Amino acid sequence: MALISPTILALRRDPRLLKLPPYLSALCIFIGAVWLCLLPLNEYSRRTYISENALLPGQVHTYFGGSEQNVFNAYKYEVQALVGKDQEAISTKLSDIFESAGLRPARQKYEYHAAGNTYSGENVYAILHAPRGDATEAILLVAAWTNMDGILNQSGVALALALARYFKRWSLWSKDIIILITGDSRAGPQAWVDAYHDEHSSPFVAPLPLKSGALQGVVVVDNALDHRFESLHIVYDGINGQLPNLDLFNTAVSIASGQLGIGVSLQRMWKHNDSYQERLQTMLRGMFSQGLGYSSGPHSSFVPYHVDAITLQAVGDGWQDEMAMGRCVESIFRSLNNLLEHFHQSFFFYLLMQADRFVSIGTYLPSAMLVAVNFTIMAIALWIRSGRPPAPKVASTMPEKQNPEMEIVQENNMTAITPKENLTILERQLFLPVTLVVSLHFLGAIPLYVFINSSHNTLPLYFLLFTFLNFFQPTVLATLIHRHTPLTPQHHLLLQSFSLLVLGIFLATLATLNFSLSLFVGLLSTPLSFTGNPFSSSVDAKDAIPSKTRQHIWTLVLQLLSPPVVVWAVCYIWGADLGEMLAEAAFGWKVNGLWTQVVIWCVWWPAWTVGGILVNPLL
Amino acid sequence: MVIDRRKAILFSSAAALRFILFFAFPSLPDLLTGRVEISTPVTSFKRLQEGLFLYTHNAPLLLPLFALVPPSLFSPLTALLYILLDLLCANALIKITESGESGSSRLFTSPRKDMKWDSIAVAAAYLFNPFTIATCIGRPTSVFTNCAILYAITQAVSGKPITSMLTLGLASYLSLYPALLLPPLILLCYDRKARDTKTPPAATFSTATFVSVFSASIAWFLYLSKVLTGGSSEYLASTYGVHLLLPDLTPNVGLWWYFFIEMFDSFREFFLGVFWLHLGGYVGALCIRLRTQPLFVITTLLGIFAIFKPYPSISDTSLYFAMLPLYRHIFPLMRYTFFAMATILYATLLGPAFYYLWIYAGSGNANFFYAITLVWSLGLSEIVADSLFAVLRDEWEVERPEMKGKDIRQI
Repeated sequence: MALISPTILALRRDPRLLKLPPYLSALCIFIGAVWLCLLPLNEYSRRTYISENALLPGQVHTYFGGSEQNVFNAYKYEVQALVGKDQEAISTKLSDIFESAGLRPARQKYEYHAAGNTYSGENVYAILHAPRGDATEAILLVAAWTNMDGILNQSGVALALALARYFKRWSLWSKDIIILITGDSRAGPQAWVDAYHDEHSSPFVAPLPLKSGALQGVVVVDNALDHRFESLHIVYDGINGQLPNLDLFNTAVSIASGQLGIGVSLQRMWKHNDSYQERLQTMLRGMFSQGLGYSSGPHSSFVPYHVDAITLQAVGDGWQDEMAMGRCVESIFRSLNNLLEHFHQSFFFYLLMQADRFVSIGTYLPSAMLVAVNFTIMAIALWIRSGRPPAPKVASTMPEKQNPEMEIVQENNMTAITPKENLTILERQLFLPVTLVVSLHFLGAIPLYVFINSSHNTLPLYFLLFTFLNFFQPTVLATLIHRHTPLTPQHHLLLQSFSLLVLGIFLATLATLNFSLSLFVGLLSTPLSFTGNPFSSSVDAKDAIPSKTRQHIWTLVLQLLSPPVVVWAVCYIWGADLGEMLAEAAFGWKVNGLWTQVVIWCVWWPAWTVGGILVNPLL
Repeated sequence: MVIDRRKAILFSSAAALRFILFFAFPSLPDLLTGRVEISTPVTSFKRLQEGLFLYTHNAPLLLPLFALVPPSLFSPLTALLYILLDLLCANALIKITESGESGSSRLFTSPRKDMKWDSIAVAAAYLFNPFTIATCIGRPTSVFTNCAILYAITQAVSGKPITSMLTLGLASYLSLYPALLLPPLILLCYDRKARDTKTPPAATFSTATFVSVFSASIAWFLYLSKVLTGGSSEYLASTYGVHLLLPDLTPNVGLWWYFFIEMFDSFREFFLGVFWLHLGGYVGALCIRLRTQPLFVITTLLGIFAIFKPYPSISDTSLYFAMLPLYRHIFPLMRYTFFAMATILYATLLGPAFYYLWIYAGSGNANFFYAITLVWSLGLSEIVADSLFAVLRDEWEVERPEMKGKDIRQI
């Protein structure tokens, strides 16, 4: 140690060391991006496997079929007969069907207001008390009256009702089974699961009259087709990018494809030939959906409550009938019935690239972390630069021959001579940069508030207005700051340093909660690391502030990557309607507790604003 | 008395901010009260409320104080009380800063003493520290202890050793560990007294007086508690016993809980001794080495308490960060401020995230949160060690002016 320290101390003064951070930072981003592209390769991803041995997927014979087909058809006619009826008639009919199957029905009314729309309806459910259980645990079968596209889930609802009647006849259940028909796919499940955990907001959401034990697993059936289907589409993303335990997904895949021979697809990849490109595409679609964090099906609302849930959606035109889907659900329920403990064995953080291939958090996390770390590296480099005195006017090629400027130090009657260069410690003016960065992050609450509380009709207009204002916003702020206190070169460096530090910390934290969102925001913010003059090493005015041409180029780059422009671009590429997307986000915030927009307005937008101010040619 | 305008602005804006947080976001106080980073088993506001019925766990004298509040006005009046406590702390800090003790004590005057923040800036750094604000809204009882400690220091630097000892007695009565501040506070009291008089008073006699006043104050508070609890002494075990024996292993930002969860019971007593030794062991050494700057000994000890206490919370950190700006003049000598602050910022954000993953999402486990408390403690110890280095270097440069600005090397 004693030998190493002088070497390290000598290295600390080396000017080459200060040139390193931008390259290191760029390398981090590069490795982070390449890392992501390597994940679909066989060497980096793994085949899925069942961790929890108690599940025993597909080990039982399924009996749902035969005469149950007639029961199913009868229920389907009943459901179809209810089309166009009011909620009361639908609920009464569903209750009657539950009662005729020997189950006690219960109802729950709910009403949400978001983006000027009202989302109301009624959930109907029944509890099948476990013949061999003590009502401490329950598994849940859900069918939404209308699916995510607002189409009547006719076969799904009929299947859930038929299964309820069928399950009642078996004596082997050791967990209560709850059969829930929600009014819709977004608000209904949320209202029900909130009320189940006593977290509902009265008086708009009614409490549940009947309850059972802790929910161990949820399967949602979504079959709006009026014909036979080809394959099952398994949807698994929860709110805010939280995922259900991988074992539940694996169980469903292994039962559907292994036991029953039904094809399985995910992330709307209807054709998947196991090529690199398709794996990557599946993974990116999964990441995109995780990053947005919105509700992708009735199951999404359950995941934040640590209740593992998936949706089975029947897609395509093939030769699988509803009975096959019913047998699949039956087999999954027999597996869930075997669970001795809550799902905990397998992964909670994973990226799927095919039904039987995944990467776990240990493999993929470094890529988001490296992108987040690049900001911290630049923040440290800028901090060090901000304390460095301006470089000497004439650079000497042989510094050891040059006589250093000496200064006489007098203290308590003692006199000493020391090199002057070492004495100059540049004082850092911290107040303005810290205040500015902190207040800009709080300023993000304004767009957040506006876009959450505006009505559906005005949202696109407000967003257009905001995009327009946002275009001039850095210039206006830069002028205001310049009028108040002209920024010194050191202010420039410190402002950028703090902004990047805060961004890096936020993104690193976010990467542990919602990996994809952190990675996307990180990648879109990478230019912020390199504005200014990243390669110089002192606080010189001409070094700290980039030249006019560079300022113009950076302004253009940043304007192209501004949060509102990116939102427009995403809508355009995706073919989504901006108003609907914003309304969905407002709904997500009010009903599901979605905080993607908090990240956008209170983390990304302030960092972008600081970047915009710093490269502004007016400053 | 003429009220300083700047002080009035600072205090009213700090109070207004807290009022807004208390009353515009009614769910915030309850949310913060439940956070493990703010409320520990011995300082929790919820337990104080329970204690109002049960009369245990918190030092008994606080209970009658809260019991006086009518239940209908409980929430707004406690909010008011905690806001006032914060302002009192800030006021104490202003007095400590104005005494100039941090820059020049009786035995040492720093060559950098002119580089300092004025008292209002120091108070503002305390009042607008997010940790202080979160603590105020979370209403842990440690705020009373912090206030008592700050007032003990204020009295000491204003040359009132007796009241200082009485106040420290109150702080120690409330949460035991401030008793460790007795040696440096005696030094500080003695120094301030000796400075004002021509002939320094006898050291032994002064020390004996101070110690006896301190003991008498504690004895008085204990007697009062005994009277209030109807002659029972059971509260002793349930208040001080909790500090000493760590029966409650609820997670907090400190280092003890995880260690004692993992430990076999047969080693428990031994490691309790080791941990307490670690907490108390620095007192003597720092008093001897930094004899010339007793206020800095107190500051550093507050930092060490924030790391090694049995039940630390961010309110202890906020107290340490309240004292640090007094040493503005040594900041340029500190080497790792940015790294330490970045570490603390990282831990501040990752801590709640990992706690969420562990407790609510169920996708993490206890190791996640414990790892972050380690990072948090690392950040704090970086600052403690770095400030200690800076003060020693400041002293050293007075002795060896020729070494000014040169790197220190280990030989």
